[in-house]
Amino acid sequence: MATNHQRDPDGWQSRLASRFARFAEFVQDTENDAVAVGALGTVALLGAFASFLVTSPYTSVFLAGFLAAVVYGWVRHQELAARGVTLAMTVSTVVILALITFFIFYEAWPILADRSGTVFGVTVPGLGMFTTTAWNPATASPKYSMLPMIQGTVLVTLVATAVAGPLGVAAALFISEIAPPAVRELVKPGVEILAGIPSIVYGFLGFTVLSPWASDAFDLVGQGTYLFVGIVVGLMALPTVVSVAEDAINSVPESMKSGSLALGTTDWQTMTTVTIPTAFSGVSAAVLLGVGRAIGETMAATVMLRNTPTVAEPLYNVFYGFETLTSLIAANYGSSSGLQKDALFVAGCILFVSVLALSIGSQLIERRMDRKVGGVE
Amino acid sequence: MTRDSERPADRVSRRKFLLTSGAIGAAGLAGCSSGGDEDTATPEPENDDGGSSDGSDGSSSDEETSGDASSSGASEPSLLTGEGSSTVFPIANKGASYWNGNAPPSDGEYWGENDEGSVPGWSEVETDMHLADYFASQYGFEATGTRSSPPYRATIGLSHSGTGCEAVTSGRVDIGNSSGPITAELGWSEEKRDEEVVDHVLGRDGQPIVVSQDIYDAGIDQLTAEQVRKIYQDEITNWSEIGGPDQEIFCIGRAVGSGTDTSFRLNMLGDAEAEMSGVDTRQGQNQGVAQLVRQNEGAIAYMALAFTGDAVRPISLEFDGTVYETSPDAENTIFDSEYPLNRDLHMYTQITEDTPSGTDMREGAFMRMFLTTFGQQVFVEANNYIPLPTADLEAEMAKLPDTA
Repeated sequence: MATNHQRDPDGWQSRLASRFARFAEFVQDTENDAVAVGALGTVALLGAFASFLVTSPYTSVFLAGFLAAVVYGWVRHQELAARGVTLAMTVSTVVILALITFFIFYEAWPILADRSGTVFGVTVPGLGMFTTTAWNPATASPKYSMLPMIQGTVLVTLVATAVAGPLGVAAALFISEIAPPAVRELVKPGVEILAGIPSIVYGFLGFTVLSPWASDAFDLVGQGTYLFVGIVVGLMALPTVVSVAEDAINSVPESMKSGSLALGTTDWQTMTTVTIPTAFSGVSAAVLLGVGRAIGETMAATVMLRNTPTVAEPLYNVFYGFETLTSLIAANYGSSSGLQKDALFVAGCILFVSVLALSIGSQLIERRMDRKVGGVE
Repeated sequence: MTRDSERPADRVSRRKFLLTSGAIGAAGLAGCSSGGDEDTATPEPENDDGGSSDGSDGSSSDEETSGDASSSGASEPSLLTGEGSSTVFPIANKGASYWNGNAPPSDGEYWGENDEGSVPGWSEVETDMHLADYFASQYGFEATGTRSSPPYRATIGLSHSGTGCEAVTSGRVDIGNSSGPITAELGWSEEKRDEEVVDHVLGRDGQPIVVSQDIYDAGIDQLTAEQVRKIYQDEITNWSEIGGPDQEIFCIGRAVGSGTDTSFRLNMLGDAEAEMSGVDTRQGQNQGVAQLVRQNEGAIAYMALAFTGDAVRPISLEFDGTVYETSPDAENTIFDSEYPLNRDLHMYTQITEDTPSGTDMREGAFMRMFLTTFGQQVFVEANNYIPLPTADLEAEMAKLPDTA
């Protein structure tokens, strides 16, 4: 352990030294004007970024400098310029994402600090927003609990997954393995076109047709249920699931299936014991992508729900639909200010963290399945 | 499973599918839209030709012309200017736009009638003069008989209630628009108000209480303020508790923190921060509220009058012992300024030496336009405001100068 500790910084230092050496060599080998233009472009881009952050009027000057450097480099040393520009693009993508993430949490901080709670003597920011259940921003002592919206998002996502998961995987299996070629070539692009229907169209259908019907059929007071929002969101996520799962199933090597069939299994046995297990990582990635879409779906939920944040009782009651994290933001951004606006940013943080966890989770599953089934290390 | 997994791309390709479905969609759209665009080409009446010549100019010369407008009428009358609250602006500005358009009686859409229909309230007017000519000539101005050329132009500026009140009292504009009383805006006493300005109320801003058709049919056409408060605070949850059918109440509120929400809490529940625990759903827009009331049984809501209709019925309200009825001809109506969810929209004019009555001929002709059935429906109700009940219309008409 101790030797490791000593060796690690050494290795780090020598690696850094060799990096510097390689960089110096590169500068030596490259023509002088190319190095100068590269340096100028880098400085201009950094300057543009810095002056953008302080909202300086000189941002455009720096940006023009960068563009001039790029144009000169492109004309004189196209290969080097292309390397530099693509690197700059990649770096700026990462920086923009980092800035957005930082901004969401920065905006949410005032209310997190205001509603901190204490657990075992440790102050946890924002704890007060998760230990009460009332959302009531317009009263003398405003209450901002995130629990009603978290419950709503969880219920809608569960229902949507229950709709989109089985339907989507079954449809993908049918399209890829069972349907005759002509049907498959018609249905697959058709399903993908479904993904292009704007969510407000689904929401409007839900608001004018499904919700009033559900209100009558289940004898509810008024309209707006998590159940039907979940079903609508599930239908919206369906094309994503079908499309990705179908690609995964389709990519199972024909030789594996043929080998199984040669051993005398039926088509169905091959599907359940060879095709699906092999494609499992892709199929689960498809379902998780669908879940991600369901969590982030805003328009349909805002239109169909009641917009009165309340915890439904019992906790699994899907017949009354109050508010999800996304619809909270959509319904309140216009008339909110101060702490209430910060609370909306907290909802954004929760969404961000959960979608991040989902996408990391799907990557881990994929890696594990690759090792287990595909034999890829 | 023995078939080849390569795609038979030559049969139906994805691109072909997209192209075909796109073409069908486009053909369908073309078929739908061909019948739909009959009168989109009708231009809006132009409204601010004279807007660039500034207000101070207009009103300083107005004091000279206004006095003798009734007697001579022939001298060129000056531009009529107004300014103030953004709440009153839609009414005043739409009125000024119509006025400057000076549409002929054959227009049908903005004034008068033709084969396709007539403007609301036309049967009370039935004139062969242009719009602005008709009202201006009642006060002795000479009719131009020309479209887009009224006897004098009107222009409305947009600022704030307080700014509008200040502008009219300092003589910079003829009409000061305000959504609050001038006593509150400028801190005046009522005596000072009566000495300096005349208060014209041409419309109201407010939300009547509405219920869904099934509740209205079951005989609930009136509630007390106390009952409304209890419904919105979850103390009454079933219509049977207040004499209605055995139906749970679907209580609709407005977006938290919006102006309508705050004013409802303040005026109906007694406190801008009152609890509203009985609310089942909240909607940001009048359209959404109307749709919910139409689609659901046992619903109660408050919303702009323009969105009420057959399935969305406004009801009477008993407040402090007074019953505010839904008929505009009743003694106390839901259109009154005393109705707790209403507020007056004011247009102030200044009392000067030349016009001791406070309203000169140009202002009188312009405002008379708003006090007709035509004006109330086109300028007030179509902008989601509340038209004046009959009694108030008569009282407002009495504040204007006598017609020539």
